[in-house]
Amino acid sequence: GYREDEGLYLESDADEQLLIYLPFTQVVKLHSIVVKGPEEEGPKTVKLFSNREHMGFSNVNDFPPSDTAVLTPDNLKGKPVVLKFVKFQNVRSLTIFIEDNQSDSEVTKVNKIALFGTTVETTDMKGLKKIEDNH
Amino acid sequence: MVLEATMICIDNSEWMRNGDYSPSRLRAQADAVSLICGAKTQSNPENTVGILTMGGKGVRVLTTPTTDLGKILACMHELDIGGEMNIAAGIQVAQLALKHRQNKNQRQRIIVFAGSPVKYDRKVMEMIGKKLKKNSVAIDIVNFGEDDDGKPEKLEALLAAVNNNDSSHLVHVPTGPNALSDVLISSPVFTADGEGGSGFAAAAAAAAAGGVSDFDFGVDPNIDPELALALRVSMEEERARQEAAAKRAADEASRQGKEEEPLSNSQDATMTDNTNNTAAETTEKTADPMDEEKSLLERAFAMSMGTSVSDTSMADADTSKATDEDKELALALQMSMQDDTKDPSNQSDMSKVLGDQSFVSSILTSLPGVDPNDPSVKDLIASLQGQPESSEQKKKEDEPPKDDK
Repeated sequence: GYREDEGLYLESDADEQLLIYLPFTQVVKLHSIVVKGPEEEGPKTVKLFSNREHMGFSNVNDFPPSDTAVLTPDNLKGKPVVLKFVKFQNVRSLTIFIEDNQSDSEVTKVNKIALFGTTVETTDMKGLKKIEDNH
Repeated sequence: MVLEATMICIDNSEWMRNGDYSPSRLRAQADAVSLICGAKTQSNPENTVGILTMGGKGVRVLTTPTTDLGKILACMHELDIGGEMNIAAGIQVAQLALKHRQNKNQRQRIIVFAGSPVKYDRKVMEMIGKKLKKNSVAIDIVNFGEDDDGKPEKLEALLAAVNNNDSSHLVHVPTGPNALSDVLISSPVFTADGEGGSGFAAAAAAAAAGGVSDFDFGVDPNIDPELALALRVSMEEERARQEAAAKRAADEASRQGKEEEPLSNSQDATMTDNTNNTAAETTEKTADPMDEEKSLLERAFAMSMGTSVSDTSMADADTSKATDEDKELALALQMSMQDDTKDPSNQSDMSKVLGDQSFVSSILTSLPGVDPNDPSVKDLIASLQGQPESSEQKKKEDEPPKDDK
């Protein structure tokens, strides 16, 4: 399907940096990440920030990332990068900052981003039942 | 209705003493700024606007983005002239002010008034533009005043670097009789605000230029298609009626001119200038654009309540009595009044049917599920409009409305 289509990619606009914001619908723990891209323009340095909303390029260097990954060509082919699990125990949103690419070109291209992890046990709203008043 | 935070960069350098835009370049900017603030706040009440000056000793922020119009207008009074404009620093400070806005959901926009020459070169402008684009800041540049040193090219380079999906604009305002604000109102700086802004702009333009606005009757068909349609229909029927009224103007004017309320006669005059000039009252009321619009609106109300057209004086009284919700009550009132008054017009039967038809057309457009833009509905309404013109010429009963249903 479209997921593995190499012709579809995300490309950076004004310069080579990319900032991607992923809010989750529930709390998750992240184990590893896969970033696939072309050999030349694929990402190199990737910084991950957990639970930071409304980040912009201007405040990206204001706080330390939860984890940093420097991608090798192997990673770009699909080899997962294992993350510091302890830092990603309680993730509501993830911001991915791609700082530069493999060949230092003007444009960075990304084909696929996959996240691996588990959900955190939270209240299942469907299981909640109203207690009937028996009068 | 886009939610936006705007920073306006004003040029208060020495170049702004020049009087080629009346009364002075600085005051022309101040007027334009007031209009912009009003338009932004009107198009979305949560929009914020801030002001900074680029000249003087250095870039100075007068207000950070705020919804309070009063604060902004107060700052505009305290502007003083001096120094040189530093456009690069001005834009960067504006970007910083926007970055620290309270509501992060607002889009970011900078409006720059570039009146003096630009001393930076193209490369610097392009770099600034790229930074703005990366941080998704849109920019509107108003190029006026001095025009040399390749200033237009530099500003265009800046625009090209920033522009993302046409959200940024560059407006050239040449010197001349038109005030800076007037030129801006019709430019994308205002009309890109969306429908609310353009309604404001249309009203402002009507007030300023004396009735010239982008849309007929100053009502945007996109905001309120039913009202716009009702106004248009009533305008057509009024024209038809005026042609008939012109024929009996001579005998009617002296008899009826004193009896009917002066208000309704002067309303007729504002509609068509070259008829009914024998009536004494018509010359008194001046063709004030606001009155014109008021009279049009009242006419639309009258038509929609099914008034007979020769009883406009009654209709005026009725519109004050009956609100839109009490259409049936108003209709009943008018029917009883029509029975009471002796109608000198020999077109009374026709007028009743006319009234009925306009009533029918307004009913049709207000029905739920009837889309005024639907071609079949449009044809229907056009056929209803065509009826009055044919009927007043032939002077016979029109085809009853049941044919159209």
